[in-house]
Amino acid sequence: MTSTANATALRRRRRRTTLVGWSFILPNFLGFAALTLVPVVATLLLAFTNWNSYSTPEWVGLDNFRRMLDSDNFWAALSNTTYYAVGHIPLTLAASLGLAVLLNQKLRGVGVLRTAFFFPYITSLVAVAVVWNMLLSPDVGPVNQLLKAVGVAHPPGWTTSTDWSMPAVIIASVWRDMGYYMVLYLAGLQTIPAELYEAARVDGAGPWKRFWHVTVPGLRPTTFFVLVMLTVASFKVFDLIQVMTEGGPGRSTLVLSQLIFREGITQGRFGYSSAISLVLFLLVMGITVIQFQLQRRHER
Amino acid sequence: MSTTVLRKDSATDGAPPSGGAPSRARTEPRRGRSRAGRVVGQVLLYTVLTALSAAILVPFAWMLVSSVKLDAEVFTVPIQWIPKSFHWENFADIWTEIPMLTYLGNSLFLSVVITFLQVLTGSFAAYGFAKVRFPGRDALFLAYIATIAVPWQAYMVPQYIIMQRIGLVDTHLSLILLQAFGAFGVFLMRQYYQSIPEELSEAARLDGLSEYGIWARIMLPLSKPALASLALLTFVFTWNDYMGPFIYLTSNDLWTVQLGLRSFVGVYDSRYAMIMTGSVLSVLPILVVFLLGQRHFVQGIATSGMK
Amino acid sequence: MRYPFRAVTALAALSLLTTACGADDGPAETADGKTIVKIALWNYASTPEFKALIDGFEAENPDIDVQPVDILADDYSDKVTTMLAGGDSTDVLTMKNVTDYARFATRGQLQSVGSDVGKLDKAKYSGLDAFDVDGDYFALPYRQDFWVLFYNKALVEKSGADLSNLTWSQYANLAGKLTKGSGDSKVHGTYLHTWRSVVQAISAAQTGGDLLGGDYSFFKDQYTMAVDLQKSGAAMQFSTAKSQQIEYNSMLTTGKAAMVPMGTWWAARLLQEKAQGTHDVDWGMAPMPQITDDGKTVSFGSPTAFAVNKKAKNAEAAKKFVLWASGPEGAAAIAKIGVVPAYSDDTVMENFFGVEGMPTDALSKEAMSPDTVKLEMPVSDKSSDIDQILSEEHELIMSGEKSVGEGIKDMGARVKSEVE
Repeated sequence: MTSTANATALRRRRRRTTLVGWSFILPNFLGFAALTLVPVVATLLLAFTNWNSYSTPEWVGLDNFRRMLDSDNFWAALSNTTYYAVGHIPLTLAASLGLAVLLNQKLRGVGVLRTAFFFPYITSLVAVAVVWNMLLSPDVGPVNQLLKAVGVAHPPGWTTSTDWSMPAVIIASVWRDMGYYMVLYLAGLQTIPAELYEAARVDGAGPWKRFWHVTVPGLRPTTFFVLVMLTVASFKVFDLIQVMTEGGPGRSTLVLSQLIFREGITQGRFGYSSAISLVLFLLVMGITVIQFQLQRRHER
Repeated sequence: MSTTVLRKDSATDGAPPSGGAPSRARTEPRRGRSRAGRVVGQVLLYTVLTALSAAILVPFAWMLVSSVKLDAEVFTVPIQWIPKSFHWENFADIWTEIPMLTYLGNSLFLSVVITFLQVLTGSFAAYGFAKVRFPGRDALFLAYIATIAVPWQAYMVPQYIIMQRIGLVDTHLSLILLQAFGAFGVFLMRQYYQSIPEELSEAARLDGLSEYGIWARIMLPLSKPALASLALLTFVFTWNDYMGPFIYLTSNDLWTVQLGLRSFVGVYDSRYAMIMTGSVLSVLPILVVFLLGQRHFVQGIATSGMK
Repeated sequence: MRYPFRAVTALAALSLLTTACGADDGPAETADGKTIVKIALWNYASTPEFKALIDGFEAENPDIDVQPVDILADDYSDKVTTMLAGGDSTDVLTMKNVTDYARFATRGQLQSVGSDVGKLDKAKYSGLDAFDVDGDYFALPYRQDFWVLFYNKALVEKSGADLSNLTWSQYANLAGKLTKGSGDSKVHGTYLHTWRSVVQAISAAQTGGDLLGGDYSFFKDQYTMAVDLQKSGAAMQFSTAKSQQIEYNSMLTTGKAAMVPMGTWWAARLLQEKAQGTHDVDWGMAPMPQITDDGKTVSFGSPTAFAVNKKAKNAEAAKKFVLWASGPEGAAAIAKIGVVPAYSDDTVMENFFGVEGMPTDALSKEAMSPDTVKLEMPVSDKSSDIDQILSEEHELIMSGEKSVGEGIKDMGARVKSEVE
């Protein structure tokens, strides 16, 4: 008797929790499902069709994927995107964390400094492209002048050379994005109780030790968020490259998002561009799931 | 979940201090030294930070300089850092060349409404994901994350078709619906809520607060830094967005600042001085929002909430 | 549980896409009974030709109200593609170039105007051939720009050179002679803009080479000249021009380049800016340099056209507008503001040179009447893919990453292997 009553009560409570959970999520979910989730799922399904934005989509199975495997553009874009991500993610992470820790102090005028470091993110992209291209100009740019002064005989050609255009783009994008992620880290730093720092100080831990033993573990949820967002953003990079190099010279900075845009909107091969999106999606999801698993292991 | 991390660390770091008087004696002189060192350190820090921020503002300086040039003088080799002549009238002309005031108003309206909805519904949903356990929760969350992994360029046309079918194309509402319910805010707030100790909610539950009450009375006040950064980043994103408004807004009186600036780009030629003038003007609201909002990043409310 | 849910969502999405048909974009008539014709165009406020056409047409057709749908020039075709995917019913669509036209026409998004073309005096419509898709026409050109050699009169006339019958090697020599100074005060003999057409399209037009063919050896002389010009400093480095987003307009108007090959669209801007006082350069036009000096001038150009949307609400009135705008009346209207119309006769040219400030010297008039104007890029469903490859390789050759020979070889190889 009592056990069944308990079970009913438990079930009822569980149903209540589910209802409560859904009630929190629903207001956001309705808008999200109708206008983001549905088109995303539709796009991923279109990867198996020959849709051109105007026709009725016809099922073509794996044709788009076969075409993709044969395409030099796809492989170039995939390897360029990976190159970009591998350079951009750790550098931005380190730079934004460093800035946040430096600017989290109670200094006079720190608000102005924080604003200054956020400025790259809101500076017009055209200005960013022109000034970085000027700084990195092979013959007259200050960067190469400096390299020559310290004894580099053949400084890189940066955006004018196929080998160095990607590093140039990465440098400019780290510069642009670090203020953005700094804002997220600044919020994260507020979750670390001051008592922990006090305790560490009493223990005789220097600033470096406090950073590694208090700040870094305390920032783990934020770092996880930043890492996931940074990974996603790096694999989807579009704007800055479009303005700075347009994927060139040649196709040395062509990335997947550009290829998706070009094949879809420009050429009207939406089936094919959706297939590339699907690959990009699986790639990013794969990395994100690994990041989730690692995070979970840390939580335990 | 992550609170365990915090507690674990506080346990190791807060290991029993080694005795009373001797330890205090040991720390005294060190504190004295560190005070002198701190002044030097601060001066150094200021110098480094100021130099760095100056270097970082070079492209912005270029934007400022270009905004008072003639169109033909913007792109030159080598770059002219001091204009041949200053054309301050650019800042007066832009208001009559394009309906800048209307565009600013539209941008402001969209940014404020979208930011408000994103922060409100995002933090609300995040509570469900972070603090309520129910079946299907993680799968649902994965769906949110999954959509971030697809570039917008890939699904903008299907999305447009849906919007066209609902009949919302060429309205501000279309953009509001599109951008107010993104995964970004939900994810950000969920991560933040997870770092708020479970004990707080438990205590509140014992006091008889409902889940909604806990969200409103405990979570929201404690998450001010995260709310501030979410609001700021959403505002900036909406303010600077070009492709979304471009695809969805056709009527000129609905246009945003970013569309207005692009109208200076022609088929064969562009009026770059005007574009830079407009860009400088459009940065100002963001500057105000940032200067106001950044104070909230460093209000250590979560700290006091621990005890 | 969630899988069937997803499948249902997906099916719903697909059905949404497949059944997309014309959504209601407003009434087809104004309150006072005029037929509404909506026309998709770009930068209405800063592109006076559209207003000239609309006003002229409405004056003759008081029962039709033409309403512009103003789209930013920068990403015009992307937006039109998206709008049409959503089933938009804007009546008239402006075709920015023939590559876009090929795309919309072959997808069946435009109405045929083939039966009307049959009634036209085809000889007077330049650029009409470009719109022939398997014997049918889906758009009519209203303007046709072609390339001439713009020059700074003060800089060139000092050297006493005659530009009326230049060959490319004479042009290159002259560019070297006109180059002076260094640093901030450097004057380049010529400026070659970063577009691939500056080298490739002129070379194809004058040698008869096929831009879609896959064998690009005919580019060789033109590339050798272009690369030599920048090596000697007579032209600005390609990589500098590209990365610093140099504008051809300012190169001429600030006196930094003496000769600039460019399309005739430029004339209207030079006139307008001079009238506003933003520059005071005395400029003129000369025919494009040729391979030989046999007196025949061959140039290339690109027409701009109007088409009727397949889903137009008022197709008849829309067609009326397209025919009017591309015909003699439309041509007269836009020639008056310094735009080169596709339809050409004596009155049109009179109107063009009658524009206040237009250089009316014999050389400029000669420049405006080339013997042959070839199409910048042939129309085919492969055009835009090939265009992409040719642009990428152009960049590599001009920035010195590849030799001329290598670049030309790679163009051919890539066009053959990557374009189906």
